[in-house]
Amino acid sequence: MNDAAPRPPELELANVSRTYFAGGAEEVRALRTLDLRIASGSFVSVEGPSGCGKTTMLNLVGLLDAPTSGEVRWDGHSVGGLSDRERARLRLRSVGFIFQRFYLLPTLTAQENVELPMRALGLPREDRTRRAAELLSEVGLSDRGRAFPHQLSGGEEQRVAVARALANQPGLLLADEPTGELDSGNTRAILDLLVRVRSARSATLLLVTHNPEVAARAGRHLTMRDGSVVRDVAGN
Amino acid sequence: MRGPRRGRALRHTRLQVVLAVAAIAAAVALPVVLISVGGGVSAHELASLQNAGYQIVVSAAGLHGISHAHALAERILAVGSVSAASPVLSVDVDAYTTSGALSPVLAEGVIPAQFGPTLSPAERGLFPSPLPLGDPTDLRHFDNGSYSGPATYDVLISFPFASAEHVGTGDTLLLSPTTNRSLGTLYNVTGVFGVLPTLLGPTGAFLVLLPLSDLQTMTGFGPSASATVPDAADTVQVAVTGAVAVSPSALAVVRGSIQALVPLYSVTSLAQEAQQLESANAVLTGFYLALSSVGLTIGLLFLALVLLRRVEAEHRSIGIRRALGLPGWSIAGGIVREGLLLSVLGALTGILAGYLVVEGLATWATSTVQEAAALARFDPTVLAEIALGVAGLSLLASAVASRAALRLEIGEALR
Repeated sequence: MNDAAPRPPELELANVSRTYFAGGAEEVRALRTLDLRIASGSFVSVEGPSGCGKTTMLNLVGLLDAPTSGEVRWDGHSVGGLSDRERARLRLRSVGFIFQRFYLLPTLTAQENVELPMRALGLPREDRTRRAAELLSEVGLSDRGRAFPHQLSGGEEQRVAVARALANQPGLLLADEPTGELDSGNTRAILDLLVRVRSARSATLLLVTHNPEVAARAGRHLTMRDGSVVRDVAGN
Repeated sequence: MRGPRRGRALRHTRLQVVLAVAAIAAAVALPVVLISVGGGVSAHELASLQNAGYQIVVSAAGLHGISHAHALAERILAVGSVSAASPVLSVDVDAYTTSGALSPVLAEGVIPAQFGPTLSPAERGLFPSPLPLGDPTDLRHFDNGSYSGPATYDVLISFPFASAEHVGTGDTLLLSPTTNRSLGTLYNVTGVFGVLPTLLGPTGAFLVLLPLSDLQTMTGFGPSASATVPDAADTVQVAVTGAVAVSPSALAVVRGSIQALVPLYSVTSLAQEAQQLESANAVLTGFYLALSSVGLTIGLLFLALVLLRRVEAEHRSIGIRRALGLPGWSIAGGIVREGLLLSVLGALTGILAGYLVVEGLATWATSTVQEAAALARFDPTVLAEIALGVAGLSLLASAVASRAALRLEIGEALR
């Protein structure tokens, strides 16, 4: 793997809608003709009530899902025409996901969880072992590499998840309510960590949260309602 | 996958795993037993044919099938390249020892001087030389069909019979047609011979060898030795000269010449018989494999079910891997590995079970089955082919599960 981190992409959602179960009785319009541009290297927080489309937007930006209509663009290029394999490759190289429920693989140790994306990228064992150790050290878990997820606290699990998200030096970090299941102490620690690693890497960070403290630390703050951005303000 | 969760995941589907492995094992064990035993018996028969001291067999169905055996043997001997022609009459008779014990034995009537040259080197070493059976030509008693000359009443007995009945050279033995002791004649045991492994069971090793005319007289249809008896044999074993023996075309010419002499009898070369035996064995092997494919199909259905359950149970882990961008092959690879592991486990269990079944048959089954099982030949190539076949088919089951894994909606899996 090239040691140089990929340049953070500029993201654009053009007239994007996402409807689940379209045409059926249970049709859900998760996003409604959303237009949004996210500058390269920015820190954007997103808040809104449950079901307003925050996660859907994150999934579209992170190439986990495709819009029903409209276009998602990375650096001006539409990603709609990419095959599943190409999207997976782009996710692996360029996106770091941090989920609310951590989503560590329960059968792998913390170290192995962090190594997983690097392994998929074909990094030599020595390199990925060294880099995983560095990342665990960076998130303050240098002595917990051999622990399985069920042996870690919630805060520790999320820190491992952050380390995993950083493994392939992605230009884009997507965090979906990363502190939603943590106590206040751990919430602050994780936020500090995210802010620190983002600024150290100049990565784009798109962070979904209910926490006003988080919103206050972002450079830009979006508020969503019913599948649309209803408020878009600059922060610090 | 490793760690405690793996153990838990496997426990959830333990029954299916056990059933899948058992079904594959049963499907593998069946052909292993059949092919190993069948192949072993066939190979034994083949070796017997290839190691025989004669190359052509003239035969006729039924007891006393070949008439004028002495004369026919002489006529066959006159055919070019024929070095020996030995008429043989095989009849079940009763043998009574001096203690009165009865043993059914297989009696073979031969002309001593003509029988010897049709023995293979391995067989020849088992017999006393020359054969101590009185008149080497058998003609004094046969006497051109009158049976008026002196019978020798000499008999050679097999080593297993001698051991079991505690009879040896110098003892006497009453031989009679089956269940008719009153027609019995007292014979002098003039020697003991060894036997090559046989497929006829323990009693099959209970052989006695006596002059052809003596056996013809004993088993003749008349009430007494003075009555007319047919000069009969069931086979004439024909040996040819060395160069002809190894040339299929030359052998075919000799066979044709003999067939012309006896158009109503069957004249076959042992090479033909060997070829037929090999063909029959190939057909049977194919049949056994086809039979086992039914069990294998069931096993693979179980395997596919296990793997699909695994995908279902681990849909979140699979979703995480896909969300992180891991390539499809790495996700499918885990499923294929598990499928291969289970199928190879099933195949190895089946091979072991098949081996144990054959060993069990060789120890505890009826004598005939025991003997056949003891000849079983576990051909590593065949076993490897079966295991590879199972592994190959398991890829199909893995493909079904892998397809399901790769079609999981990532968003659904992470919800």
